[in-house]
Amino acid sequence: MKRILLLGTVALLALAGHPAWAVDDIIIGAVYPLTGNAAQVGLDAKAAYETAVDIINGTHAPIPMLMGKGGGLPNLGGAKIKLVFADSQADPQKARAETERLITQDKAIAIIGSYTSATAATISQVTERYELPYMSADNSSPSLNQRGLKWFFRTSPHDEMFTAAMFQFFKDEGEKTGHKVASVALFYEDSIFGTDSSTVQRKLAGENKIAVAADIKYRANSPSLSAEAQKLKAANADVLMPSSYTSDSILILKAMNEIGYKPKAIMAQAAGFQEQSFLTGAGPLAEGAMSRSSFALDAVKTRPAIEPVNALYRARNNKDLNDNTSRDITALVVLVDAINRAGSAKPEEIRKALMATDVKGSDTIMPWAGVKFDATGQNTLGTPVIQQITGGAYHTVWPFDVAVQPVVWGVQ
Amino acid sequence: MQNSIILRRRRELLVAGGLLVALVVVPLAIHDVYTLNLIIITLLFAGLSQAWNILGGYCGQISLGHSLYFGVGAYVSTMLFVGPHIPPPVGMLAGGVLAALVALLVGWPCFRLSGHYYAIATVVVQEIGYLLALNWEWIGGASGIYIPFRGESILNLQFRTAKLPYLYLVLGFAAITWLVAWWIEGSRWGFSWRAVKDDVVAARSLGVRIFPSKMIAAAISGFFTGVGGAIFAQYVGYIDPDSILAGHIAILIALPAVLGGVGTLWGPFIGAAVLIPLRELSSSYLGSSGSGVDLMLYGALIMGVALFRPQGLVSLFRRGAHGAA
Amino acid sequence: MQVLVSGLLMGLIYALVAAGLSLIFGLMDVVNFAHGELMMVAMYAVFTLWQVSGLDPFILLPIVAALLFGVGVAIYRLLISRALQVRFNKGMVQIFVTFGLAIFIRGLAQLIYGGEFRSITTTWLANRTANVYGVYLPLPQVAASVVCLLAFAGLLAINRTEFGRALEATREDREAVALIGIDRDRIFALGWGLGSATVGIAGVMLAGFYYVSPNVGANFALIAYVTVALGGFGSMLGALAAGLLIGEVEAITAQLLEPSLKQVGMFAIYLAVLMFRPRGLFGKI
Repeated sequence: MKRILLLGTVALLALAGHPAWAVDDIIIGAVYPLTGNAAQVGLDAKAAYETAVDIINGTHAPIPMLMGKGGGLPNLGGAKIKLVFADSQADPQKARAETERLITQDKAIAIIGSYTSATAATISQVTERYELPYMSADNSSPSLNQRGLKWFFRTSPHDEMFTAAMFQFFKDEGEKTGHKVASVALFYEDSIFGTDSSTVQRKLAGENKIAVAADIKYRANSPSLSAEAQKLKAANADVLMPSSYTSDSILILKAMNEIGYKPKAIMAQAAGFQEQSFLTGAGPLAEGAMSRSSFALDAVKTRPAIEPVNALYRARNNKDLNDNTSRDITALVVLVDAINRAGSAKPEEIRKALMATDVKGSDTIMPWAGVKFDATGQNTLGTPVIQQITGGAYHTVWPFDVAVQPVVWGVQ
Repeated sequence: MQNSIILRRRRELLVAGGLLVALVVVPLAIHDVYTLNLIIITLLFAGLSQAWNILGGYCGQISLGHSLYFGVGAYVSTMLFVGPHIPPPVGMLAGGVLAALVALLVGWPCFRLSGHYYAIATVVVQEIGYLLALNWEWIGGASGIYIPFRGESILNLQFRTAKLPYLYLVLGFAAITWLVAWWIEGSRWGFSWRAVKDDVVAARSLGVRIFPSKMIAAAISGFFTGVGGAIFAQYVGYIDPDSILAGHIAILIALPAVLGGVGTLWGPFIGAAVLIPLRELSSSYLGSSGSGVDLMLYGALIMGVALFRPQGLVSLFRRGAHGAA
Repeated sequence: MQVLVSGLLMGLIYALVAAGLSLIFGLMDVVNFAHGELMMVAMYAVFTLWQVSGLDPFILLPIVAALLFGVGVAIYRLLISRALQVRFNKGMVQIFVTFGLAIFIRGLAQLIYGGEFRSITTTWLANRTANVYGVYLPLPQVAASVVCLLAFAGLLAINRTEFGRALEATREDREAVALIGIDRDRIFALGWGLGSATVGIAGVMLAGFYYVSPNVGANFALIAYVTVALGGFGSMLGALAAGLLIGEVEAITAQLLEPSLKQVGMFAIYLAVLMFRPRGLFGKI
């Protein structure tokens, strides 16, 4: 009996002395498609989040970014972040079930996600009912923050903001170089992403008095896009504006090439066009294509955190940060920073802290003006950039103050 | 002979009754939301599969595109709720009726096709439905329909976080489909349908009118599948063509019956009880690595049961010669 | 004109994918629901070989075809032969055995290669296109079409050989062939091998201008089944004719309607034909 008491006391002392046991881990749930058609993006997101968690929790040289000092959350006694992943399979029912599981079984105090709009719809419904924050890292559908939800927060700009940037860019370029855009061709896949994107593009084209020479909704993951390519060729608009995922992005460029059509210019709504496998698959055909982006890898002068963070991500996943993964890291960091400012793991406190968020762009890896949420939970300071592919990689060309090179029109 | 059938049927009712009571009482003790969700999905698909079984098992028409009726039910009920605020219990019935009509419409030209041709035709029809829904703006198109939370209400079938009401709802649904199948098994219709399935020529020679039989089976099957779709929509709170009218739903409706035992009373239920938890659990606990191992497991299970227990898992419970096959 | 030519080229690919499926069905009444996945296996095979050796897919074609032949035989021996022995519920068993196999293969592909989209980028014909009287002929597709026609010719030639006649005999009367000394089991195995090799050829040619991913089989699968059913299960000629028809209908529908609905066109045609010819255009079964 005495021996047990002795051992017990020793154990207790050992536990008490162990710093990691002083506070509980902060558990955040991440819901992404990890299998199925969108698996690539989900797995990349996982790598990005794990990189961010290392930065937040680990001991390392300070990185000039929010939560970049490492060592956990200072206001919570050095508590560490623990991220638990769940596979949504891009299915809204599954996403819902997994979110509930993360909340009730794994005791997550916040959820981050989710890439597809359909899953974001049901996940945010769950978080609303359980009253904890949902941080939308990379959902770009404009309608998501318009549902009157209290617990929905989105750091990423949405497609209306992205598209507005595209048309502003056209205007700016017109004034600067005299290169006018008189007509556009809309080419979009038939799921939520494509249709929402095209709706905004159509609207803004109208407002800017730009003709829509072709309005093509195509079946995603088609075996062949040659008929669609022919329609685009016939329209021969000044700018082709695709809203496509990776597979179709590769295919349409090839299809256009096959019928001898080189579009005068391409302005993509990111998605597939920002993926490494697209750049590899399309090769020289992608040269000169432009895309909106929330992230500028080459903005190292104004965003010194990019280099160390990218290096860590590269080491983990063998590719550079891109549009999606950079937003993922940023969203997690902003969420964790709010938890830290709240000084508590209570959802209501975190929510208040999120509403009070006011992060400077220079404290992130994004070229944004900053992070500040409006009443609907949308970050209004997320300013996108326009990038162009030259020499097989993307380079920022707009806004002019972060551009690393001028736009090359007619390279196609 | 007569007596043993009556005894058997009485026994089936008793077993069903006992199971029903158990399923009412046991969930009261379960507080884990994930487990409750699993039971709900399992019961829902058990009922859906039983509905499928009425056409596929008893009547022999293997439909691989049943998600069409599922989708019709879901969309009708949702549109009625979101727009004119019609309560889902009513919307459900409307959805079921419309689904039944669609089933009749599909069956009318397709029933003359045999075996594999029929199966592929059902898939094609479902795909057409899917493509049309994707492009039909009035029902939301690709964006789907987000079902607004109008406050906790039994009439509206909406609850904040409670799962039990839904559980009892799908339990009722599954119980009703089971009863319908049980009743069919003992009815004259049931006998003539099985005759049609086993030997069309002989059945015809005995005066069984084949086409009307199939149509009635289709209507009943379509009705219940539609109702199930409406329940699902209200439960998940968001519908879009990809999650409702997709091929994988059609497979999920048919598969439990196949695994459990096509054309048997308990087959769909046993099949659902095995398949759904396996699929969900392997995806939740193995899928988060994204390695695809959960898919391999799922595929292996299907192959295993198909090869080694083709009469379905229900045969594990059989001792004697009776069985609806 | 361009529309018609593009439809033709695509149609031949559909036809070749369908041919293997039709062959297997015609032989033993089994619809192989893992057909799309077999094509995916071939695509991954040629991709991996290309990555490792740098050789052009044309050179790798015979290797991959042989590989797929072996895979087909293996599938038959391990799974299908058992499925055929089942007394109860045969049709169902076959559907679901191959269906389970499809899911399994998809999971395996994801396990080995991950979910990324891969492309074969440096081949002899990559991204090259010829211009004949204003009609553009993308060379990889033309090559694929030529190979498809050759493959069909090959299948026809095989028909004339002893093996081919044994296949035909087995198809006509499964039960009786044992009486004339044909080892039915062996014929079935070889039939599976041939069917798989055929779709393997289609996969290799497709990899020249399409991307490779675990789900690529699913994109082509439904069209393949429709093509086979339209042409008539068991008929090679049917598969060819139906493939061309489907290809053209798809292309024309995309021109006339919203491209998003182009598959509705081909499905509608399929259903319409079935109303008048429930066994497909050239169906024998």
